[in-house]
Amino acid sequence: MKEQIQEILEEARNSIPSCGSDKDLEELRIKYLGKKSSLSDLLSKIGTVPKEERPQMGALLNTVKNEIAQLIEQKKSVLQEKEDSARAQGLDVTMPGRPLPIGAKHPLYQIWEEIEDIFINLGFEVAEGPEIESEYYNFDALNTPSWHPARNPQDTFYLKGGMLLRTQTSPMQIRVMEKFKPPIKIISTGRCYRVDKVDPSHLPVFHQVEALMVDEGITMSDLKGALDSFVKRIFSADTHSRFRPHFFPFTEPSAEIDILCISCNGEGCKLCKNSGWLEMGGAGMVDPAVLEEVGYDPEKYTGYAFGLGIERIAMLRYGISDIRKLITNDLRILSQFQ
Amino acid sequence: MKISYNWLKELVPTQMEINEFCAKLTMFGLEVEEVIQPGKELEHIVIGKVISVEQHPNADKLSLCRVDVGEEEPLSIICGAPNVVKDILVPVAKIGAKLGDFKIKKVMLRGVESFGMICSESELGISDDHSGIMIIGQNFEPGAPFADAMGMNDHIIEVEVTPNRPDLLGMIGVAREVAVMLDTDYTPSEITFEESDVKTESEISVIIEDAEKCPRYCARMIKGITVQPSPAWMQRKLIASGLRPINNIVDTTNYVLLEYGHPLHAFDYAKIKDNTIVVRTAKDKEKMMLLDDNELTLHSDNLLIADKKHPLALAGIMGGLDSSINDTTKDVVIECAYFDPRNIRASALEYGLQTESSYRFERGMDPNGLVEVIDRAAQLMQLTGGGEILSGIVDCYPYQITPKILPLRVSRTNSILNANMSADEVEKYLNNFEFSTKKTTQDSFEVTIPTFRPDIEREIDIIEELARCYGYNNVESHFWINRIDNKQKRTVVRLAKNHLISLGFFEVNNMSFASTDDLDTLKIPNDDYRRNLVELANPMGEQFSIMRSTLIPDLLRNAGLNLSYKFENFKLFELNRIYLKEGEDAYAEPTYLTGVIVGEFEPFYWKEKRGVTSFYDVKGVVESVFSKVHCMKNITFKLSHQPYYKKDSAADIFLEDKKIGSCGIMKDEILHSFDIEASVMMFDINMSNIIPLYNEKEIHFEEIVKYPPVLRDIAVIAPSQIEVETIEQSIKSVDPNIIQDIQLFDLYTGKQVKQGCRSLAFNITFQSKTSTLTDKYVDKLFDNIVSKLSREHQIELRQE
Ligand SMILES: [Zn+2]
Repeated sequence: MKEQIQEILEEARNSIPSCGSDKDLEELRIKYLGKKSSLSDLLSKIGTVPKEERPQMGALLNTVKNEIAQLIEQKKSVLQEKEDSARAQGLDVTMPGRPLPIGAKHPLYQIWEEIEDIFINLGFEVAEGPEIESEYYNFDALNTPSWHPARNPQDTFYLKGGMLLRTQTSPMQIRVMEKFKPPIKIISTGRCYRVDKVDPSHLPVFHQVEALMVDEGITMSDLKGALDSFVKRIFSADTHSRFRPHFFPFTEPSAEIDILCISCNGEGCKLCKNSGWLEMGGAGMVDPAVLEEVGYDPEKYTGYAFGLGIERIAMLRYGISDIRKLITNDLRILSQFQ
Repeated sequence: MKISYNWLKELVPTQMEINEFCAKLTMFGLEVEEVIQPGKELEHIVIGKVISVEQHPNADKLSLCRVDVGEEEPLSIICGAPNVVKDILVPVAKIGAKLGDFKIKKVMLRGVESFGMICSESELGISDDHSGIMIIGQNFEPGAPFADAMGMNDHIIEVEVTPNRPDLLGMIGVAREVAVMLDTDYTPSEITFEESDVKTESEISVIIEDAEKCPRYCARMIKGITVQPSPAWMQRKLIASGLRPINNIVDTTNYVLLEYGHPLHAFDYAKIKDNTIVVRTAKDKEKMMLLDDNELTLHSDNLLIADKKHPLALAGIMGGLDSSINDTTKDVVIECAYFDPRNIRASALEYGLQTESSYRFERGMDPNGLVEVIDRAAQLMQLTGGGEILSGIVDCYPYQITPKILPLRVSRTNSILNANMSADEVEKYLNNFEFSTKKTTQDSFEVTIPTFRPDIEREIDIIEELARCYGYNNVESHFWINRIDNKQKRTVVRLAKNHLISLGFFEVNNMSFASTDDLDTLKIPNDDYRRNLVELANPMGEQFSIMRSTLIPDLLRNAGLNLSYKFENFKLFELNRIYLKEGEDAYAEPTYLTGVIVGEFEPFYWKEKRGVTSFYDVKGVVESVFSKVHCMKNITFKLSHQPYYKKDSAADIFLEDKKIGSCGIMKDEILHSFDIEASVMMFDINMSNIIPLYNEKEIHFEEIVKYPPVLRDIAVIAPSQIEVETIEQSIKSVDPNIIQDIQLFDLYTGKQVKQGCRSLAFNITFQSKTSTLTDKYVDKLFDNIVSKLSREHQIELRQE
């Protein structure tokens, strides 16, 4: 029996330190110290040992049992330590990765680019022009009568010396038509200026996109088609437009454009002030006088033009109700447009 | 389709120079792929007559020939061919002739001199026959240039015939098209012959069993014909068109195929059982041996030409071996038929038999042109082989295929082409195409489309023909793209913006108004360009009295605002116009890109130390923007003295010699005026100078250099006032072709470096585009660099 006990101890001394995990260690514990272990077995057979050897044998069994228990305890703490240090140095996939920066384009310019791209896909060219304009291009060539209130300094910014800040991007249309023969199919985009107090719906500096198409056989259907193609792409396929008669000096017939309210789909809501429609801009067939002014034959050529405010489109798209938010440059706003 | 220009000129009167003609043909829709001049290679090759043939004294297999080449003395030529005999005509390559790369010279063969060479067809490039010398069957004067005699002084025009135009697969069709193109007439050869008293129908009868697959079948007969070589003119044209002459009967069917584009077949009458031709579909598993010794097992979709017992030909594709013409043939039956294109296509595909015949039938032949074609064949067979042509044609045509009649509107034509053709003009063009016309109103015609044009099915098809006559290049171009479009600016602006955004910048948008106070705050001097102010007559207030001449104040205000919202490290930019007065009513509106980096450049990261932001961060941003828009190569940086930057902390940016902006660290006192307590770096660039340089098309792929680069490090001690750029230029100048790249990788100043100096280390890439660099060579360059730096700048190699 003594030999058997020694054998068990030797085996335990070998196997316990080389064990690699808590689970294996637990198995070893059951093997050596459990109720069905060989040591328990030997203990139950102690009665078979000659009486005089019994106490000695019992003490040996106890010593061995204790030693094995101690080995297991030691091993347990070694394993625990290992695990702790692995936790500390090892991968914590929830820690932040290298923060690579992402900025954002200003929402107004995001929409501007989107508008340009839509028109480019529809076959328009993009023309830019000067913001500092002459009265001729901004008013005269666009058939604006001398009595028209838009010419007043209460409405238009004038520079010392007589030039003005364009009130619309239309002067570029004149510049393009002066230079090129039909067909003309352009948008002109950019900053425009009107004397307006800064309030939730007005800024003295704003952005416009104007489309112009002139060729033989251009009809009001082409105008409606181009406009509908645009509003459906910038808002949604359900959006469509309606025209209300209006007056603009450089188009005839002239119309104001409404689109079906993108918030309530015509049902009536706060955004559309319960009208079901949102005002978007102006449109019309180019006035023959404008065509004549640039040397086109108004009998041969017809054309359409429409103008839209980019701020207005951006506000509708993003649900911004105060136009001033577009010039505050507050990162708490800008970072929403990443 | 190969067109002999000589042959074409017989049909259409034109003397047009070949290149001009081909250019015109291509523009008319017959695309010329290649023009070959077969006679060009055959200079110094003449017809020779063999006067005598003797055994070579020293060689069994060589003959000693005397050949008359039209000169005073016959030439003495040694020939190894087995078929050389007395009195034949042969092609002789005289001394000086070139056969491919081989130049004919006087040679000594086994002790006997030879003064030229008698050629085989393969040596002349006519065919691949090299079994013996070429024997010329026709009669020519000795000494006649071979290329002339063979009709090879010609231009063979290879044109691409589109699959919708089967009518262009023959010379007559091409001539018709060319006549329209040249607005002239074409004249096919006249077809006349005598017929015998015997009627064709009494000798042969035709039964069409499947009229859908064979709507029309014509047969003619010639009795007592002699099978012999065809005449020279016919052989010449066949050769010119790439066909080998065989005998007068086969050659005639081929010739008429070339001429009319319509396939014919000739049967040996003696081999047609019961004198009856039956056009029928094959029985299932019926077997047939073709001319090419190929046995087919047929089925009921295959159309056969047969006699009462056996198949004679696979209709429209290939003749049978049994019924073919041979030297003993006396009586010939000529077949000229119209087969359903779909059936021919299916059978040809099924058996992999693409023949000249099937190629044409599957594109659609003219069912109403058969009589002319078969008469032409009969005429030529008799001309080349005698015999008598029996009277009449056996013509089975159960269901007449009639020409289509289509309406055409002149106004519609003009509106599609944006042309202004008159009704008369339109009618003339149509008649040139042999489309007959009946005017129905002022504006419209009824146009009868001949059956040789199966491609014309609708009004729009006719309009296409008229467009070709009108000339595609005469149609006015309504061009409007790229006249006005600001694509270049748009591209550069978007590239720059997107790039900055990916570096963490946020774009801002400020109104264009400003006040002169801002310029004073920035300490901008009175003679600065930004003092050329655009002043408003009716401003909305004193702080809005001018149009801004710089974007800097607005950006600093934006920075201050966001700092007040407790943002610490952030980056902003604006890309917009500034406004400058340039004179009386003259203004400039250049576009500027201005940005600020507030606080730390790198976002906070738990792994790394903070507080390493420096001038080189903002410079890096600027450099990367310039690289993105392709103009970095012309950019240089020089120390800046702008009043709003910290001393020795900023650079002015130059595009070549022009100052286009600056970047650097802002002065604290300026920042304080904008309520900013953080550190701010700024860049300010005039983009209007950059935009015109951008050209996306300037990127051209360069072949990767296949020789490996050699990398060497150099560490030097340089006087501090020498700029790195100067050192790099100095290194590069040692061998600009080999030194490809120089990268600074270490800078050190301190105890180990002597006073007034700094230690710099560069990584240099050496690479040759033409060879592998040896260590020895690179060592030499490296030594040159060291001595150059020492000589020019007192820069020493660092001693380890
Ligand atoms: Zn609504």
